[in-house]
Amino acid sequence: MIPIEAETTTKNGIKVVYVSKENILPFLTEKKGEGFDTLLMITGVDYKDHLEVLYHLLSSGNNARLIVKTKTNEEVDSVTSLWKGADWHERETWDLVGVKFKNHPNLKRILLAEGWIGHPLRKDYPMDKKQFVNLSDDGEDRVSYDKTEGY
Amino acid sequence: MEDKVIEVNFGPQHPSTHGVLRIKVKLDGEIIVDAQPVIGYLHRNAEKLAEMGAYPKGMIYIDRLDYVAALNMELGYVLAVENLMDAQVPERAQWIRMLMVELNREASHLIWLGTHGLDMGMLTPFFYCFRERERILRIFDEITGSRLLYNYFAIGGVYSDVTPKAIEMIKEWTDDFVTKLEEIQSLLGKSYIYVSRTRGVGKLTADDVLSYGVTGPMQRASGIKRDVRKNSPYLFYDKVNFDIPSRTEGDVYARFLVRIEEMRQSASIVKQVLEKLPQGEFYNKKYSKPMLVRLKTTGESYVPTESPKGEFAIHLIGDGSSIPYRVRIRSPSFANLSSIPTMLKGYKIADLTASVSSMDPVFGEVDR
Amino acid sequence: MSDNILVTSLDEALRWGTGKSLWPFTFGLACCAIEMMSAMGSDYDWARFGSDIFRDSPRHSDLMIVSGTVTKKMAPRIRRLYDQMAFPKFVISMGACASAGGPYVRGYSVVDGVDQVVPVDVYVYGCPPRPEALIQALKMLQDRIVEGKVKH
Repeated sequence: MIPIEAETTTKNGIKVVYVSKENILPFLTEKKGEGFDTLLMITGVDYKDHLEVLYHLLSSGNNARLIVKTKTNEEVDSVTSLWKGADWHERETWDLVGVKFKNHPNLKRILLAEGWIGHPLRKDYPMDKKQFVNLSDDGEDRVSYDKTEGY
Repeated sequence: MEDKVIEVNFGPQHPSTHGVLRIKVKLDGEIIVDAQPVIGYLHRNAEKLAEMGAYPKGMIYIDRLDYVAALNMELGYVLAVENLMDAQVPERAQWIRMLMVELNREASHLIWLGTHGLDMGMLTPFFYCFRERERILRIFDEITGSRLLYNYFAIGGVYSDVTPKAIEMIKEWTDDFVTKLEEIQSLLGKSYIYVSRTRGVGKLTADDVLSYGVTGPMQRASGIKRDVRKNSPYLFYDKVNFDIPSRTEGDVYARFLVRIEEMRQSASIVKQVLEKLPQGEFYNKKYSKPMLVRLKTTGESYVPTESPKGEFAIHLIGDGSSIPYRVRIRSPSFANLSSIPTMLKGYKIADLTASVSSMDPVFGEVDR
Repeated sequence: MSDNILVTSLDEALRWGTGKSLWPFTFGLACCAIEMMSAMGSDYDWARFGSDIFRDSPRHSDLMIVSGTVTKKMAPRIRRLYDQMAFPKFVISMGACASAGGPYVRGYSVVDGVDQVVPVDVYVYGCPPRPEALIQALKMLQDRIVEGKVKH
């Protein structure tokens, strides 16, 4: 049994458990063995002093739901070895929130152009600083703050 | 032996990508060796913008996620917000919501069917489907005042009541929709070319479906009979009778059959809702419009709903102010689309359009 | 040459012909693309106005309808597609997003208006515009082509 740090519920009664970030991979492996076979999504939340990563699990057999949370500053283990679908969700969390996933096979930006500066869903992301994207000769995206470079 | 694998770019502008999908396809002759989707060409910052305004303001961005089924998206958001605020919703409003959501599911599936036909090289189903869809849109126009994006569901109810004229229109529509659907189905399902191009193509096994988190009709076509409306009912889905169609083949043809059957079930739900629609308020007076922007709440909420594409929900976190702290959209198309590499590998390049369009991706929702 | 009656009227006839045989480019970006499909579909049938089937290649078409939000990642691709179209070429910017950013104008990855990327002839307002509005824009564009007031 992997120790649970704290336990709450959401307003509509879905169980939320907190697990330390070292234990996240063994804990999710254990839960997958218990029948939570679907990973609905992975999310990051920026709480200014720390980041939180959320895993939404679903057991299609007995229709149970579970939200697993872990606090981190930068890095957490990747769960792509457990669910193939975790690949895109982790890339998105890296792209928008800036959580690094250890041992992820292809941790690149997914929604924004490669080379984008900053992670927009962080609370301190500067919304007034505009970035521009252009195509370089090899067909890849090129990002810069310079307007004359853009489009 | 020299390396014969060539790389082909499919999209972002292509008539059968249903938007702005780009797939990097590696081909060995005609066979797809590897397919890597590239997304993000319609990333419109819905999550960030929803975190910058008051709770009701987020609705306009949620509306534009899955723009062919905007009411289904709105439902996910209002349910999450109401759950967070413990808002009471009048019974009539809930039934109206069910009615509208099911009608919008029909409209969404019709648009899928029409464009799926286009991708398979058939122009006729497109016109038949759009004829039927326009009838539904006229009903929406009568009730909500707009055709595509409605902003109709409000916190605590709906913005306007269903008029007697609209009820007449819906009755007229339910009377002959099923026969019209039969006609459309026979256009595709009785075509030898269509069936032979879709049967056994783009297969996903039940294990793949679970591993990728695929939900909705795609999941049900692969043999996993799960529908949020049945498994964890919201609104009054436990008070109406309907079946969940499912198949075990997991190919494009199975998805076609599942969606057609779902449209029949939705039509029957619409019929039942019309019979059961109670009289009363359609709006909770406590949440009148000037009050809405001042609503404050705290806590967390995740209310799953069944959108035409799969499980849709919003993970909403409130921090006690009138602005949501975090709005995370669980978008079904995003998860469905991530299964592309498995789905395309080993098939021919000509099967690519059939497989991609059978997923019914809508890019407002994939890229958000 | 320009005051030669025969040449000017031939020019006018050519312009009239161009306006009445526009070939739009299948280029759906977002929500507005669905209304564009409706305009092409059964009820509205905009082939009535001399703008027939949507072409799938930029090289076959002379009218680009930018229907939807232009993101920063997509903008250079739009420019490239526009460059690939053959002259004469026209652009309709459909909806609030393509015209000025629309509801997403405050976002970090949205271009506020496709006119920063390609020259636009006609703007259509609405979010999304109804198919009637798009058909009106088409008529306006045809009138402008006949008058010779287009940008390209």
